[in-house]
Amino acid sequence: MTSVAVGDETAMRRIGVTVNGTLQAGEVSVRLTLADFLRQDLKLTGTHLGCEHGVCGACTILLDGRAVRACLLLAVQVDGHSVTTVEGLAPSATVLHPLQEAFCAHHGLQCGFCTPGMLTTLVEFLKDCPDPSAEEVRVAISGNICRCTGYDSIVEATLSAAANMRDGS
Amino acid sequence: MDGRLNEPHLGRRHFLKGAGLLAISFSLSGAMPGLGRAAPAAPKLGPYGPAADELDSWIAIDTAGFATLYTGVCELGTGSHTALLQVMAEELDIAFDHAKLQPPDTNRTPDQFVSSGSRSIAYHAVPIRQAAAEARHALVAMAAEKFKVPAEQLVVENGVVSVTGAPGKHVSYGQLIGGRQFDLKVTGAVKPKDPSLHKIVGTPVHRIDIPGKVTGSFTFAQDVKVPGMLHGRVVRPPAHGASVIEIDESSIAHLPGVVKVVRKADLIGVVCHREEEAIEAARQLKVSWSAWADLPDMKDIHQKLREVPIYAPGIPAKYPGGVIAKDGDVESALTGAAKAIKATYESPYHLHGSIGPSCAVADVRPDGVTIWSATQTAYGLREAAAKFLGLANDKVRLIFAEGAGCYGQNGADDVVIDALVLSQAVGKPVRVQWMRADETGWETYKTARVTDVRGGLDADGKIVAWESNAWGFSGYSRPEYHEPKQGGEPGSLVTAQLAGWTTPGLEEGFNGIALESAPYYTVGSKHVVFNYLGPASHRQGPIRMRVGSMRGVGSPDNVFMVESFIDELAAAAGADPVEFRLKHLSDPRTIAVVKAATERAGWQPRPAHSASAENGDIRTGRGIALFGGGKETRIASIFEVEVNRKSGAIRVKKVTVAHDCGLIVNPDGVRNQIEGGVIQGISRGLMEEVTFDRSRVTSLDWASYPIITFPDVPDEIDIVLLNRPDLPAAGVGEASTKNVWAGIANAVFDATGVRLRRLPFTPERFKEALAKQA
Repeated sequence: MTSVAVGDETAMRRIGVTVNGTLQAGEVSVRLTLADFLRQDLKLTGTHLGCEHGVCGACTILLDGRAVRACLLLAVQVDGHSVTTVEGLAPSATVLHPLQEAFCAHHGLQCGFCTPGMLTTLVEFLKDCPDPSAEEVRVAISGNICRCTGYDSIVEATLSAAANMRDGS
Repeated sequence: MDGRLNEPHLGRRHFLKGAGLLAISFSLSGAMPGLGRAAPAAPKLGPYGPAADELDSWIAIDTAGFATLYTGVCELGTGSHTALLQVMAEELDIAFDHAKLQPPDTNRTPDQFVSSGSRSIAYHAVPIRQAAAEARHALVAMAAEKFKVPAEQLVVENGVVSVTGAPGKHVSYGQLIGGRQFDLKVTGAVKPKDPSLHKIVGTPVHRIDIPGKVTGSFTFAQDVKVPGMLHGRVVRPPAHGASVIEIDESSIAHLPGVVKVVRKADLIGVVCHREEEAIEAARQLKVSWSAWADLPDMKDIHQKLREVPIYAPGIPAKYPGGVIAKDGDVESALTGAAKAIKATYESPYHLHGSIGPSCAVADVRPDGVTIWSATQTAYGLREAAAKFLGLANDKVRLIFAEGAGCYGQNGADDVVIDALVLSQAVGKPVRVQWMRADETGWETYKTARVTDVRGGLDADGKIVAWESNAWGFSGYSRPEYHEPKQGGEPGSLVTAQLAGWTTPGLEEGFNGIALESAPYYTVGSKHVVFNYLGPASHRQGPIRMRVGSMRGVGSPDNVFMVESFIDELAAAAGADPVEFRLKHLSDPRTIAVVKAATERAGWQPRPAHSASAENGDIRTGRGIALFGGGKETRIASIFEVEVNRKSGAIRVKKVTVAHDCGLIVNPDGVRNQIEGGVIQGISRGLMEEVTFDRSRVTSLDWASYPIITFPDVPDEIDIVLLNRPDLPAAGVGEASTKNVWAGIANAVFDATGVRLRRLPFTPERFKEALAKQA
């Protein structure tokens, strides 16, 4: 592995990261954020950038199953790890994740810009808490900002998805 | 991206040429539509239909029986495209899944002006419904000829025309069209369906855009990519009025990927190969700027508004001196009143706060220009862009790409000018996305406002006098206006101003900002004045804070004033606020929503406030606020709040909303818009305030401009929809936000006896008001 001088704006490093189940290997700038890597290099534009400093939650992805902000991570930091973006939530091209299904059925978005971050955050949450109360759902996504404020539909969709996932398992 | 870069500008007719199809359009002859710019008088379908000088196809039905709607309506994340397709599918009698939509693209879709003011359904659905009704009529006539039966014997279901009582005699739209081409003109003579026959309109059809938005496949404006595209970022002045002294390009010489530093007057940008390179280059580029510190002290803003001279050129002739309503002699009525009170209401600048910063792609080439934009006015912005570049309109193509929800005019139009300047400088397509701080620091804001009100009651507790004087800047800084159609001017865009464009923008703005400032109550003598201060931007105007339209434009402030003051009058009269309102209302639809809301919420009549009934620091209360009148949506809401007298914290626990927007096209869509309007209104009312120092806006991120998150969302929003299929559809997105601030203030008064008259209702403001009262 190349050593990088502090302040070197042009240094590149080779990384290998599993994204939505596929190993992606390539050379990236050491300053490249994970969000930019996903959006530009892998063309996975479902990960949205809202605030660029970790506050709004739109760019939330799953890193080894844990919800993290892609705008706060560097691409080189996920070398050797597994990333799931909103594009990787559905089990197949024709079947949606139960949360995605529920967002469709319950009108769980208005403009939808914050939705990818809501979904990834909730995927992690429902794994830890498969039978949540409405209040617990609210707390789970209190770090994701929605300006259209379609909050109630999001809670309804999540509760419905949770019920379906429990039934299915 | 489906954008066919620099596809020849063929025009919409040509685009539709293909295999067999039936296209219906509005005619040049004037047989139809008195609808657009130069259109002659004719059957009126609504003010925002197609222009007579632009022959447009609206609906095309292909041989497979799929109908495509070519719409100029921009989807703003409200579900309007789904609702428009419901309208088309309903009139055509096709299955909803056979309805397709071509979003705005000036090469393909008609001009439907500005998608704003909650008009997407109320106004823009009207010509679509008519065109669809006529297409169906024509197809049925073709079937009648085929089967040699009168049209009355035919029924249509799912795009198949059948002869009543003759099994086997049926033909699909696709078969009727065959390989032929039909080019129909709307006549205006066909009557759309009776609402009682609606099967698709009025049902909660699932939105067409949601599947793509939950899988990440949907292309937002921020996601548009075109071949050879470079990335740009802008460098804004550190003070609103500052000008460039010098740019030190060597400051970024060490950075990778820099293609060019671009300057046009005070518009500075960098173009790089990759996005993160542009971000870094913009961050490190050293620009020296002139000093500027002419903003007023923020704490004096409301006093300053009173001192700004009235902007006479912007006041419509029908409101001389800004007088919106005048009836009787208010002074003598106040003198003779048994009781007279007065109040002043104040509000700050508000941010639209779209979650995605504005973004556009522009490709400026010698043979033509293509723009991808999340504008609300595809044709208007195209015209503005053409003027800005000194080109003919037909040299510019604008392709709409949906942005993050906008709630009015955010930076979507402005960023197009940035992209044009940068693309022109490098001769390649350039994508420009604003940084969060560019958006929060340079978008258009809801103007700060101050309103003085005086009112009088007679001995019976009846209102005998009402006077209001409001001050505020424009509610409009778009490139186009529509009543009447005018514009296509870049002058109101702050980026054009930065780039040295000096031709003024539109003068419009009074109507929006003064909207609904006259009381819809019977008030005896009245005198309602709006002291209009004109347009303002970071670069122009007496107070250089940029203003523009935000959800409801002037209404939320005006209704805050009317609905707070009516409550204050009720308290002065010692009357129950609901009963007091009903006593002064005459519009039956408004009365109906008041009754529906109070019944649903179980309103308990009470004089003045019930604060004395409770002890301790935590107090609860209920307040009503409504809006009603004219052709607009009627709404009445009951707000239930919990106030901590010690900390000053206010929490809205429940809101009951009764809502009458005429015909409901999609009840699910309506509910969502109501809910969003209420919660966003609560956010604006409780916590939002754009802050500034003497040079610039300082609330540049979500920490300095907090908006509501889940913990502060009410436990319940209970919605009662009053559907009126016999009436035209009215707007939905804005109505539910209008009465929120007054509703909270009235509920806080009920809970504590403290009257809040200055937004936002932060804990500090509550404590100030409490101290003042004590």
